[in-house]
Amino acid sequence: MSSLFNDYQPGSFFDEMFSAPDAARDHYSGIMGSIGTLTPAEYAARQRTADMVFLRQGVTFTVYGDDQGTERIFPFDLMPRIIPHKEWERVESGLIQRITALNLFLNDVYHGQKIINDGIVPRELVESASHFRPEFRGVKVPHGIYIHICGTDLVRDGKGEYFVLEDNGRCPSGASYMLENRNAMKRTFPGLLQSLPVRPVDAYGSMLRETLAHLAPPSVIDPNIVVLTPGVFNSAYFEHCYLAKQMGVPIVEGRDLILKNDRIFMRTTKGLQQVHVIYRRIDDDFLDPLVFRKDSLLGVPGLVNAYQNGHVALANSIGTGVADDKAVYALVPKMIKYYLDQDPILPNVPTYLGVDPKECEYILANLPNLVVKAVNESGGYGMLMGPHSTKEEREKFGERIRANPRNYIAQPVLQLSRHPVFQGDHFEGRHIDLRPYVLYGDRIHVVPGGLTRVALKKGSLVVNSSQGGGSKDTWVLWDDE
Amino acid sequence: MLSRVADSIYWMARYMERAENLSRLLLSTQDLLLDAGEEASDESQFWGPILMTTGDEERYDKIHATIEGELVADFLALRADNPNSILNCVRAARENARTVRDQISDELWECINGLRLFLESPEATALHQNQRASFYEKVLVASYQFQGIASSTTPRDESWHFLRLGLCLERADKTTRLIDTCSAISLDMPPNPLARPLRWAALLRSSSAWHAFQAYSSNKLNPVDILEYLLLNDAFPRSFAWCIEEMHTALIALCGNGRLEDMKAPVRLLGRLRADIAYITMEEVLKEGLHEFIDRLQAKLNDIGASILQTFVLYGDSAPVVGDSTHLAVLSPGAWHSAVDDNMQIQQQQQQ
Repeated sequence: MSSLFNDYQPGSFFDEMFSAPDAARDHYSGIMGSIGTLTPAEYAARQRTADMVFLRQGVTFTVYGDDQGTERIFPFDLMPRIIPHKEWERVESGLIQRITALNLFLNDVYHGQKIINDGIVPRELVESASHFRPEFRGVKVPHGIYIHICGTDLVRDGKGEYFVLEDNGRCPSGASYMLENRNAMKRTFPGLLQSLPVRPVDAYGSMLRETLAHLAPPSVIDPNIVVLTPGVFNSAYFEHCYLAKQMGVPIVEGRDLILKNDRIFMRTTKGLQQVHVIYRRIDDDFLDPLVFRKDSLLGVPGLVNAYQNGHVALANSIGTGVADDKAVYALVPKMIKYYLDQDPILPNVPTYLGVDPKECEYILANLPNLVVKAVNESGGYGMLMGPHSTKEEREKFGERIRANPRNYIAQPVLQLSRHPVFQGDHFEGRHIDLRPYVLYGDRIHVVPGGLTRVALKKGSLVVNSSQGGGSKDTWVLWDDE
Repeated sequence: MLSRVADSIYWMARYMERAENLSRLLLSTQDLLLDAGEEASDESQFWGPILMTTGDEERYDKIHATIEGELVADFLALRADNPNSILNCVRAARENARTVRDQISDELWECINGLRLFLESPEATALHQNQRASFYEKVLVASYQFQGIASSTTPRDESWHFLRLGLCLERADKTTRLIDTCSAISLDMPPNPLARPLRWAALLRSSSAWHAFQAYSSNKLNPVDILEYLLLNDAFPRSFAWCIEEMHTALIALCGNGRLEDMKAPVRLLGRLRADIAYITMEEVLKEGLHEFIDRLQAKLNDIGASILQTFVLYGDSAPVVGDSTHLAVLSPGAWHSAVDDNMQIQQQQQQ
C-alpha cells in the first residue's frame, strides 16, 4: 500500500476508487501501482505543473456576477476517474437509447403530436414549457434530428447505481475540458496512458465535424461549417474557440454573419461567403431578433427564416429545450417505452413535479430533504439544496413554488458517489458526477468517457463550475482483465 | 478569412509592436540619462519628449504636476489607468489574440498570454521598481519571441499578411514619432569631434539601429545621415522605407494578381507614398522642414490604415459573393429526407 492513500477514508459513501479503506477496486490497480507510489510532495509537484499548463494556455471560463476580472481556470484534479469496460457498455447503450427517444419525441411534438394525443405526455406540460416553440410545428429539419450534440449528466447513488440527472439538449458545454484534461494527463504522466488500456477521446473534434457536415444538403460537397459564439465575454468562449480549432472551422459572432437572398453569409476579407451549417452556442432566445428576443445583438436577423426554408442548418435545432425542461425530463422513461418499446437502461432520478398538486404538496412538506430545481435553469443556478438550506431560504423557495408550481420539480437528495481528490498534501473524498457527450449524425457516437465534474467544497453536492466545481480526466478502459 | 479575424490579428500585432517600442524608448532614455552627466540635471528635457511621442502629455498632466523620470516611467509601464501603458498594450494584444485563438498557433497565444500574466504579477511591479532595465528587456525579449514564433508558425496566407500590416504600420508610425522628438535639435555636426551627440545616439538606440548604422556609416554620427538612414534606407528593418516596402508586399499579396483594375484603395495610397519615399532626397526633406515632412508621412499612414480597415473589414453588404454561386440554387427543404425512421431501425438492431 502506497503512502499517498494510507490515510484515505472512503467513508459511508460509494467511493469510485476504494471499496473499503486500503482496498482499491480492481480497475484502479494499474494506477495504484504507479501514481499511488509517489510521495505527496512528488504528486503535489505534478499537480502544480498541470495547473501552470492550464493557466498559461488560458484554459479558462468566466464567472458571471463577479467583477474580479472574471476569468478563472477550471480547477483540475490529476487523479483520473476510471470506468471499467463492462460498466461503460451499459452506460453507452443507455445513452444511445435515450437520445434516440428524445429525438423521436421532439420530431413528434413538432409534427403529429401522437404522444400527446395518446395521452402519454400531457399537452399542457409541453405547451407550457418555456422552450417549446409552437412556431416550429411542421417545420422540417435535416434528417428529422433535433438534438445532434447532447451532454447528459449522470450520477451514481450510494450503491453505485447510475442515474440520469438531466439531459442537456440545448447547448451542452464542457467537451473542451474533457479534451484538455486528457492532454494535461498525457503531459503529466506520459508513461501511464501508454501502459493502461485507456480509450482515446481525441477523435471528438473530427466526429463533431462529421456530425455537422451530415446536416448540410446532399448537393453541397464541401459545406462551410461555422461555430456561432455570443463572443469573447461568454463564459464558454474558450470552449467555442477550442472546438472550432479542433474542427478546423471558423468561429463567428452574429456580427460576422449577414442575410442575403434568404441565405446566410459570413463577411470575409475577400467578400461574402455562404455558410451551410451553424454549430450555434447561442440560446434560441438570442438567435434572431426578428423572431425571438428583439433586443438580441448576438444573433442574425433573418436566420430563423433561412433555417425554416432549409437554406442553412442549425445544430442543435431550435426548440430542443422542451425536452430539457425538468418536468418533461420526468417523462423520458415513458417516452422510451412509447417510441422504442424498451425499458430504460439508465433510470431517472425519482422526480416530483410541482405542476401535480399532490406532488407539489409533498415537495412543500419535505423541503429539508429535497433538491428543488427551477425547470429551465442550468449550471447550478436557481436551485435549493434542502439539507444545506436555512429556514429563510426554504420559506422563500416555498413561496416561489406556490406562486408558480409548474416552474419547479424536486428530487430526493442522492448521496452522490465520491472520488479521492488531492487537497494540498493528501487525498479526501469529494462528490462527483459524469457528463458524457453523445453525437447524433449519420449514426450515434458516444465519446468513451466525458467530463467528470467534482464538487471541490467538502461535503458539497454541487459540481457546476460556476459554483466552485472542478473536473477530472475520465478513463474508460478497453477491457477489464 | 473573416473580416473580424483579420481586424483582430492586425491589432494584436500593432499592440505588441507598440509595447515593444515603448519599452525600448524607456530603456534607451534611461541609458541616455546615465551618459548625459550635467545635462541630466533637468530630467524633464529627456522625459517630456517621450510623452510627446506616445501622445499622452494631456493625460499625464492630469495625474502629475511635474515631469520626473520615476513618474513618467511608472505612467508608461504599468499604470492601469493609462490606456497606452505597456501593460495595457499587452492586455489589448492579448484580448485581440483571445478572440482569434482558433486562428493563431498555441505557441503564439501562450507567448502573449504569458507576457500579460507576467505584467499583471507582483513580480513585474517589483522588477520595474528595482531593476528597471531588466523589466524593459523582458518585454523586448517577449516581443522578439512573438515575432519569431509568428514567423515560424503562421502560414503565409492572409493571417500573415494582416499580421505584417499591423506590425509594420505601427513600426513606421513609431519611427517617425521618434525622429520627430529630434526635429527641434540642430542638425549641425558638433564642433568638437569628441563631444558625443547624445540625442542622436539615443535616437539610434531607441530604433535598435546603433550597430547597423555604425557599420553603414563608418562610425560618423552625422545627424543628416542618421535621419536618412532611419527614414529612407530600405535595408534596415525599422526604417520608415523598409516598413513601407513590407506593407506593400503584404497588400499586394492580399489584393491578388496586381492588375491595375483590381488595385484596391489602400494599394493605391501606399504605392504613391512608396514612390515618394523612394525618390525623395534629404535635401528636399530638410527644405520642406523635418517636422512638416514627418507630419505629412503620419497623415498618409493614417489614411492607409483607415483604408485597409474600410476595404477588408468595414465594407457593407453590397460586397461580392465569393465562390461557386450555384450553391445558391440547390438548397431547399425538399432536399432533406427524414432519417429518423432509419435511425430507429439501426437503434433497435443494436439493442437486440
